Amino acid sequence: MTRKRIIIFFTICILLLLLLFAANILLGSTAVSVSEIMSILGGREVGTNAVIILGIRLPRAVSAVVLGGALALSGYLLQTFFSNPIVGPYVLGISSGAKLCVALMMIFFLSRGRSIGLAAMILSAFIGSLIVMSFVLVISVKVRSMGILVVCGIMIGYICSAVTDFVVTFADDSNIVNLHNWSMGSLSGIGWREIRVFTVVILLCVILALSIVKPMNAYRLGENYARNAGVNIRLLRVILILVSSLLAACVTAFAGPISFVGIAVPHLVRSSLKTDRAGVVIPAAFLGGAMITLFSDAIARTVFAPTEVSISSVTALLLVPVVIYVMMNRKKDR
Amino acid sequence: MAVSDGLKTEHLNIGYDSDLIRDICIEVLPGRIVTLIGPNGSGKTTLLKTLTGELAVRGGIVYLDGKDKSCMSSYDVARALSMVMTEKIRPELMSCREVVEVGRYPYTGRLGLLSDEDRKKVCDAMEKTDITSLADSFFTELSDGQKQRVLLAKALCQEPEVLILDEPTSFLDIRYKIDLLDKIRSFAKEKNIAVLMSLHELDIARKISDTVVAVGEGRILKVGSPREVCSENFIRKLYSIEDVNSDLLGSGYWEDEPDAEGHGEASDQGSFRDGNSVAETCKEETSDAGSVMTGASPADKGRKARVIMIQGTMSNAGKSLVAAGLCRIFSNDGFLVAPFKSQNMALNSYITDEGLEMGRAQVVQAECARIRPMAEMNPILLKPTSSMGSQVIVNGRVIGNMKAMDYFRHKKDYIPEIMAAYDRLSEIADIIVVEGAGSPVELNLKSGDIVNMGLAEMIDAPVLLVGDIDRGGIFPQLLGTLDLLTEDERKRVKGLIVNKFRGDGRLFESGIRILEDRGGAPVLGVVPYMDLKIDDEDSLSDRFSNTRVGEFDIAVIKLRAISNFTDFDTFDQIPEVSVRYIDDPSRLGDPDILIIPGSKNTIGDLRELKSSGLFDAIIRKAKEGTVIFGICGGYQMLGETVEDPECSEIGGSEEGLGLLPVRTVMGNDKVRNIYNGKISGATGVLSGSKGLPVTGYEIHMGETVPLKPLTEFTSGGTGYCLGNIYGTYVHGFFDGGAVLKKIAETVALSRGKSITTGAVEDYRDRKETVYDKLAENLKNSLDMDRIYKILGLER
Repeated sequence: MTRKRIIIFFTICILLLLLLFAANILLGSTAVSVSEIMSILGGREVGTNAVIILGIRLPRAVSAVVLGGALALSGYLLQTFFSNPIVGPYVLGISSGAKLCVALMMIFFLSRGRSIGLAAMILSAFIGSLIVMSFVLVISVKVRSMGILVVCGIMIGYICSAVTDFVVTFADDSNIVNLHNWSMGSLSGIGWREIRVFTVVILLCVILALSIVKPMNAYRLGENYARNAGVNIRLLRVILILVSSLLAACVTAFAGPISFVGIAVPHLVRSSLKTDRAGVVIPAAFLGGAMITLFSDAIARTVFAPTEVSISSVTALLLVPVVIYVMMNRKKDR
Repeated sequence: MAVSDGLKTEHLNIGYDSDLIRDICIEVLPGRIVTLIGPNGSGKTTLLKTLTGELAVRGGIVYLDGKDKSCMSSYDVARALSMVMTEKIRPELMSCREVVEVGRYPYTGRLGLLSDEDRKKVCDAMEKTDITSLADSFFTELSDGQKQRVLLAKALCQEPEVLILDEPTSFLDIRYKIDLLDKIRSFAKEKNIAVLMSLHELDIARKISDTVVAVGEGRILKVGSPREVCSENFIRKLYSIEDVNSDLLGSGYWEDEPDAEGHGEASDQGSFRDGNSVAETCKEETSDAGSVMTGASPADKGRKARVIMIQGTMSNAGKSLVAAGLCRIFSNDGFLVAPFKSQNMALNSYITDEGLEMGRAQVVQAECARIRPMAEMNPILLKPTSSMGSQVIVNGRVIGNMKAMDYFRHKKDYIPEIMAAYDRLSEIADIIVVEGAGSPVELNLKSGDIVNMGLAEMIDAPVLLVGDIDRGGIFPQLLGTLDLLTEDERKRVKGLIVNKFRGDGRLFESGIRILEDRGGAPVLGVVPYMDLKIDDEDSLSDRFSNTRVGEFDIAVIKLRAISNFTDFDTFDQIPEVSVRYIDDPSRLGDPDILIIPGSKNTIGDLRELKSSGLFDAIIRKAKEGTVIFGICGGYQMLGETVEDPECSEIGGSEEGLGLLPVRTVMGNDKVRNIYNGKISGATGVLSGSKGLPVTGYEIHMGETVPLKPLTEFTSGGTGYCLGNIYGTYVHGFFDGGAVLKKIAETVALSRGKSITTGAVEDYRDRKETVYDKLAENLKNSLDMDRIYKILGLER
């Protein structure tokens, strides 16, 4: 029964993902025919259209897949950590923390007349997310209510965003205009070099996440029963925090904060799979995140073309109802 | 200090930020249940949490299965210890099967993939806890009772040595409570798991525990058997309710003060001598530590009854009678005695007041011992259904049919049940008289013996071997049996008894010398042949399923919640009488007397009667003029209405049979009286029985009042009659010889039948006389001083 559902789910997901991927490459302000795309992908054509496809649309679609998946996975790990389905990197302010840190770092480097390197970018995002994460952890120890935790996370997120805005506003270099775009959340301007870097990091994170499937399953029964099943709770928690922060940091570093994918996708995946087995949900959440992000990005850049909407606005519109639904259906706050 | 298996703590300090309790030394041995009791906040949960590792150990050592827990890897700990705690968990979208599977995690590899064997163990655990049907439901959708069972299954399939449970029964209704604790108890025994749990229900703690640990005032206050710890004074002090005298405190809450009973002392001494040395060592060491601390060693059972076992050289050697006689003698000497026979094979059974089945021989012995017959006295009853198979009844309940071979193969599985029943008896009795079955040297059946020497070994009982001289061959019987026993078994035989000797016992003196010389065991007596009328197991028909319609037919309505079956035993005195239990109107036939017995649930049973059609059938019989008796609940049913406004049974109200114009209102006050009265008036066929004395007892919740002037049947307003319909609250109404004789004769006469009532006596008196005679005879012929010495008791 469940096995059948899982197989159907994955088949549909992969088909949809391929479809969306194709659509993302096809859609855009410049019309490029399917046959042309085929020959471009085959490397038989060069020219403006080839640049559009290979240099803009294809990397953008690939980043949407990888970063979207990473975001959803990060959300799932956090939800497991807090045993709470209404947390995600965005609502807990982790994305905003990463954003602030990256912005500060960028300005620091730009003021020195240098542009920021990829490694430095990921690192600063990671540090930013960890700083916020430790704040959140302190709060979660003090208050047992998960609702209050989420509110605090959102507040921290606002503070970080506000500080980022100040910094951006008062920085005078014209390059910072880009920074503004980035801080709204966008998949534009990501090149193959970046893709190569973050794909490696994210792949490592996915492998790490898959390696803790067993303790995660036991952890669903709560810390105490998990310990009783022989789980090393401290190690599990450290891995969960580090991996989810690193994933969120990666996404933020390259695409800025993308809202609600991390919180809503794992829920959608769980309720359509009717299970919360980590071994199934981890790949499923990755696929789901990739799909939603591809879809949202397609909307973000086509609906008001040639003007581009921030991808966060689209994901918020699509996913906030889901989040509200989840919150309303939670029986009791812990 | 020696380290044993199970769970053990040495000088353990527990607490959150500071020490809450210091220097805890307790020990839970495999297969034992130790219960923590004490007021809220006394530290029970803190102790359990420290043991599971949720809280850090603040000092001292915890030993798990003999190893220092702090030196074990987390998976090793997980394989040795599992738990069910009170914290509410809400795993989203997690099926019960997945929850249970977590129990196997300590045994799986890196990815937590389950092997087929793991899966099988998961299935087994779910089956044992009756949650197989819930396997695919989500845990969060279950009721509290089901959740607890799922968590218990998880804990079980973890295959632990130690099981820790924190108030496993909170939030559960009584049914789930009993169900869960029963399971815990049987797992403890079956899988030899050491169980440590906290309980708030003292009455349950008392019944289920081997050892009770009272926690309070920041220390372990008392450790001991339930009987020792649950005394009223101590419990009142523990919970600070010395001066509370609420009727909410039922008598079931505490044991009587052990000291208040004359025989408490002997067994207490026994317990200390048997007591594990650990407890004492701990005590010594604490005196300088300055805080009170006690060792709980489950072997230290406060009330370890003395035991003696009677085995025979063959069937019918007279084991049952010797055992019965000993029961009466010990009882006469002021001891609390309980009979026991692990397995009975008999066609007919006795139904206890709880509606449980047991063999009749132990009933007779229980009556000799002046103790209520309990199913525990005969944990396994086999009722042959064909030449090949038997119905198997365990602790009074039918569990199924089995072929003889299957039973022989499975009988070892019943050892935990047998031992649990025996343990329960040993908690209430000073002396247990155990009866063997057949011969102890049926060599082809000896492996896995659970009735003779095998049982004697399990309960460490001295054995008296009874031979039957009447049938001849007393020397080969006794000496041959001894010879065929193994060396160890022979050592158990502490004495020989020559039974059924006709004539002067002194004539056998030379025989005694030969037996003692060649057998190596003393002959404790030569018992004369006795012709006693005592219920013989095989002469009586099987009560419950009897369908034989005798010359004089009595039909008893078999209510679902029937109580006090024993009301009708007395009819056995009249050979022509058959007593049939009827639950189907088509089998009602044409009885001479129709009886509606007592019920533990009058309204519920009334409803059941209506749906089964018996309701109308009874009314039809009444119209035909059949003599109908209603006893207690049956009497209430005869009336116009039964109301239960205070929900003392199930609540609501129900229209009765309307055969007597009376109305019953249930109240919460339970009437329990010994009844001594008479038939103050009678109508119909029995009008001539006015004035006969009636003795018995009343035990009921309701009050029944006539709705119009009626003839009072039993005096004191305990019953009324109209025509041939008679209702009374008096149980044991028919036990009086005069009443039984008169009623049976009158009814027989009116129906044109003849019965022989010459032998009818007051049922109880008759039996008492026989038992006393039996005891007298035995006492005169047995060396009782020696038998007491074998028991380790002084008279």
